[in-house]
Amino acid sequence: MNTPHYKNILIFLLTSVGLIVLPHVANIPPAMFGFFCLMLGWRFAGIWQPQYLPTTRLLYFLMLFALILLVSHQHRGLLGRDAGTNLFILALGLKLLEIKTERDIYLVVFLAFIVAASLFLYQQSLFMAAYILAVCCVLFATLVAINSIQIHTRAALKTAAVILLQAMPMATVIFVLFPRVEAPRWMLFEEKNKAKIGLSDSMEPGSISDLGTSEELVFRVKFTGAIPPPKYRYWRGPVLSYTDGKRWTQTNSQRFKAQLAKPSYAGTAYSYTLLMEAQEKNWVFALDIPAQYASPLEQNGHYQLINPENPHKRTEYQITSYTQYNTGYLTQLEYQDSTQLPSEPSDKIKQLVSQLHGFDDKPENFISQTLNHFKTEDFHYTLTPPLMEENPIESFLFNTKRGFCSHYASAFVYLMRTAHIPARVVTGYQGGKFNTVGNFLEIQQAHAHAWAEVWIENQGWARVDPTAAVAPERIEQQLDINLLELGSDIRFETSNSQQQENWLKQMSQLWNNADYQWQRWVVNYDSSNQSDFLSSFGIHDFKAMMKWLMALVGLITVLLALLLLYQKKKAIDPALRLYQQFCQKLQPAGLIRTDREGAMDFAQRAKLALPEQTEAIDHITNAFIQLHYGRVSTREDFVTFAKLVGGFKLNDRRLE
Amino acid sequence: MDDAIILTHRRIFILPTQRGWAMLLLMVILLLIAFVYNNNLTYLLTFLIASVFFITILHTFKSLAGLVVQAGQTQAVFAGEAAGFDIHIHNPNANERPHCQIKLTKPQSFTLKPYSKTTQTLYSLTQKRGWHSVGTVTVFSTYPLGLFYAWSPLRFNSQTLVYPKPSPLELPFPDSPSADSEQGLSHKGTDDFYGLQEYQAGDSIKHIHWKAFAKGQGLYSKQYSGAKNSAEVWLHYDDAIGHDTEQRLSQLCRWVVDAERADIRYGLVLPTVKLPPDCGSAHYRQCLEALALL
Repeated sequence: MNTPHYKNILIFLLTSVGLIVLPHVANIPPAMFGFFCLMLGWRFAGIWQPQYLPTTRLLYFLMLFALILLVSHQHRGLLGRDAGTNLFILALGLKLLEIKTERDIYLVVFLAFIVAASLFLYQQSLFMAAYILAVCCVLFATLVAINSIQIHTRAALKTAAVILLQAMPMATVIFVLFPRVEAPRWMLFEEKNKAKIGLSDSMEPGSISDLGTSEELVFRVKFTGAIPPPKYRYWRGPVLSYTDGKRWTQTNSQRFKAQLAKPSYAGTAYSYTLLMEAQEKNWVFALDIPAQYASPLEQNGHYQLINPENPHKRTEYQITSYTQYNTGYLTQLEYQDSTQLPSEPSDKIKQLVSQLHGFDDKPENFISQTLNHFKTEDFHYTLTPPLMEENPIESFLFNTKRGFCSHYASAFVYLMRTAHIPARVVTGYQGGKFNTVGNFLEIQQAHAHAWAEVWIENQGWARVDPTAAVAPERIEQQLDINLLELGSDIRFETSNSQQQENWLKQMSQLWNNADYQWQRWVVNYDSSNQSDFLSSFGIHDFKAMMKWLMALVGLITVLLALLLLYQKKKAIDPALRLYQQFCQKLQPAGLIRTDREGAMDFAQRAKLALPEQTEAIDHITNAFIQLHYGRVSTREDFVTFAKLVGGFKLNDRRLE
Repeated sequence: MDDAIILTHRRIFILPTQRGWAMLLLMVILLLIAFVYNNNLTYLLTFLIASVFFITILHTFKSLAGLVVQAGQTQAVFAGEAAGFDIHIHNPNANERPHCQIKLTKPQSFTLKPYSKTTQTLYSLTQKRGWHSVGTVTVFSTYPLGLFYAWSPLRFNSQTLVYPKPSPLELPFPDSPSADSEQGLSHKGTDDFYGLQEYQAGDSIKHIHWKAFAKGQGLYSKQYSGAKNSAEVWLHYDDAIGHDTEQRLSQLCRWVVDAERADIRYGLVLPTVKLPPDCGSAHYRQCLEALALL
């Protein structure tokens, strides 16, 4: 087993194994990755220097070492994704050093496939899928090379690629139709200890700025019909009613009101698909405010959607929202909650409220007065406001006057409550990046926002966004995160720069769209998606699914079989056909080959009749005999023969 | 000669190899991972591998389908030697056969380019004199991934004659009444070359005019005048020493071989056959055939 062919196979194998493990560099402990690289490097060297491969005793020692390595890194438990990945990678590394027979190569290839699958447990992006597909092609090419006598690298890769390509339609059909059953809970080994950033259930002035520049995707929204104008794109998250003067938190009486009365809706109904990324919290950020939604979604007393069984993975929801609504009356409990203040407001604040006619005018007028105060006074919108440790609201209103959404929202609500108007802070996201290619909105962490809600007679809870008064661009237009640097003035994308979208931006939109479709249709294709999708084709139950699966796989097999096995049969040996052409060329000279006459005998006769062409006749006859009756004939022989026959010309003096 | 056999779906059988079964196990493992982690891409990988597995059936079948297999010449051998059977395999289609194998006792590999042919000589060890049938020739392939084994067992009527095994004992030729010259005497030196004649089956290989053949002028035999050997032996069945028929035939065979080598005219007398003294490859073959078929 040390032929050049075998060396080639090993190079193939080791390269593909290395490529499979490479993306795991971020997922496994460095010691483990180092150990694997050592094994791989050792085996690579062993291709040319077989004498340095480990002996059986050394292998046992290495195995023991690997075992210790494995156990020492299992603080997260012996079962589960990380442990399994480590185990398979170490097993793969050790097996590499012990390749003796063809069977071992197969085992390595199969282990590599399992490691490839484990990569998907960490990352399911389109890029990763393409990468794994390419490496699988190399793995299959290894198998092709083993099963061929002598094959070039390119030919083996081509064969493997062709087989993979032919396998794709069938794999797609099985993927779509294979019944998805949710694994029972106890079987799930999902990692839950990873810290994710996102909105929290409390707010302190400044807390949202942590999310301020994060481009991490939170959710995507695809509208089926009308798209709400930008100023209505508020995605409702937790409602914060209780304050201790600094922190704002949710109250416990969230579920109460929802049981009593539904709001009345008006205006356009916006239906959309919301694709939430995996979230730490079970909040679902619906367009303000959601009216129709399907189980398992629930709505709490603050009109916020909740998924009680947080799936901890990307999930899709169908929701309909109205941007115009009337929530109706206020319960006693709600009134108490939304006018709560930690202590009697200071005189300075009371003075401001009375100055803005908070105590003697209608609530609507007080609201507009307050917003006007933010607009006309020297208030600024910035993501890096000065720290306000003590009395944050007072120092913001009278001293610093610099802040962002949470400062404005909390100060506004505080002022409202001072005037005994029910008000509360709502957190969530605002706006979103519109992807023109895929026609959907992408909402990133940077779109996190806080605004206020005020209860007004005959209107119910109404949204008031004090940030809009200070920085209307923040609401009306999209925040350009790329230009947004902490400490500098915030710039907003103007319509002018939108027109100058360069191709780079378009490419990124195209990619984002492909990624969205990939996440939506492939990665997120679960049992409910599947039944929805198949129902549209009239496939409703398991039995029908199986029937269709069998039928389509059968159909693809038949088509492939036709494609692969249909072979144009040559009626006769092409050499014979050429020889017949040669005989026809001799016909004018009166030489006609009879059925019983052998090629040799005919040549004898021809040579007698055409003595000056003896050589040509001999050449052709010998080549024909070699091709038609000979033991081995090559393509080159045939080409030579074809040239000989083509070049033959009857040179008969009798005809001249 | 046998008719050519075309390998069609009726003649080709296909089953997973051990590696194929192992791959099925791999798919089960992958499916389990996909199920437990609810991971769609692992599902996709599993289905892709499953489809590749399935499609490999067609590819493996294709590597044999359409081949035309024909039994060719056989060469007579002495018992105990390996008999060679020529098998002509012709690829009448446009697809290449990168790796096929053919086996009688030991597998042999071959590749076939489109529209090309090859001849494989298969050897099987002979034990007894008489007619020896080729047995079942298996053409098989595991191309491209080694997951499936496609094979076609082919029975040919092709037979080869097995001569008795020449006895290892070197015994002098039996004294025969008609022998009038010294045994083993070579008469080569006295032969007079008088011309060439086109080669005919049966002419001694030793008399072929190799120089002419090398020049591409065809096969010619050298003719000698006065080449008649005066030495003559009668190899009689009753003169051969042995416990049973086989041993006696073995001894006779040895004498025939020795006599032919020494260019002595020899006659063979068997219980059923009597061949008058002669020499040359035709006579030699005739004698051995008689011994083989007694």
